Amino acid sequence: MTVPDPIEEHVAALAAALHGPARVKARMLTEARDALTDAAADIADGGSPDGRAARQAVDDFGSVEDIAPAFQCELTIVQARHTARRVALIVPFLALTWYVLVIVDHGRGLPYPVEVLTAHVGGVAAAAALLAAASLAATGALARRLPTPRRLPLMVAWTGTAACAAVAISAVTLTTASALAGNGLVSAGVGVLTIASHVRIAASARSCRQCARLPVVAHR
Amino acid sequence: MKGDAVRGHLDALLLAALEQGPLHGYAIITAVQQRSGGALELRTGTMYPALNRLERLGLLRSDWQSVGERRRRCYELTDAGRRSLAEERTAWRELTAAIGAVLDPAPAPRPAT
Repeated sequence: MTVPDPIEEHVAALAAALHGPARVKARMLTEARDALTDAAADIADGGSPDGRAARQAVDDFGSVEDIAPAFQCELTIVQARHTARRVALIVPFLALTWYVLVIVDHGRGLPYPVEVLTAHVGGVAAAAALLAAASLAATGALARRLPTPRRLPLMVAWTGTAACAAVAISAVTLTTASALAGNGLVSAGVGVLTIASHVRIAASARSCRQCARLPVVAHR
Repeated sequence: MKGDAVRGHLDALLLAALEQGPLHGYAIITAVQQRSGGALELRTGTMYPALNRLERLGLLRSDWQSVGERRRRCYELTDAGRRSLAEERTAWRELTAAIGAVLDPAPAPRPAT
């Protein structure tokens, strides 16, 4: 029977406790594993690290209960930044395409309720994009001077969710309009683009909500 | 000196450890312990989220490099990181001077007889 490696067990337990962007999480775990391996080698003082050295390195590293909240804090902020970046980039682009569609279709008579609804939904989307851009600034260089609000990731998650809902309403509206109006091809194209954007923002906002619910501690 | 005493100064310690040049994570911990004569014990696990945070703030940059036989993520100070370290040093000196003046006051001059 093989004896489980305390370092691998510890890294696996930490991995199970953390949620967030896969690439950043994998990088943090790789660094944690490297640090534990180095520490075990140091404790073994040049010899081959044994189980005792590995267990000592794990103890010095800190228990999962102690250190996971600090790791999760960073992962949650990174996830919030991913979501905010998606909203800040995709939503203005979509708003522009909706605007162009309204202009193009105006001569043909896009149904008035559709124009009004698109304008309102566009307003919600624009507000979401502005909030997302502000969140990116607040968690980037601006955070050197100002503390990051604890509930900011949750706010970003719900901003993403609101943008997502706005995008979904637009998709339904534009697809319906495309069926009713004569210029169906352009409307259908914008509708498909909107649905694809909805899927991307929804996935990110969902991950952000999950991360924002997990316990975190500030680093300092 | 345990981790509680270090809390609140971790960013400055990490930035100072990187002042001389790029280091990977475990080497940063070793540098802090050596420079403090072993008095400061950093809990290894708390350091990696802090390094990530400092990189997000633009105070550090990092890259995977070959160190010995392994690939390690090495960190180095950015220009903003050097400026931040200078500010942290100034703030620390002002704080220690103020606290020192309270804890260890200069003897009052003797009244003239």
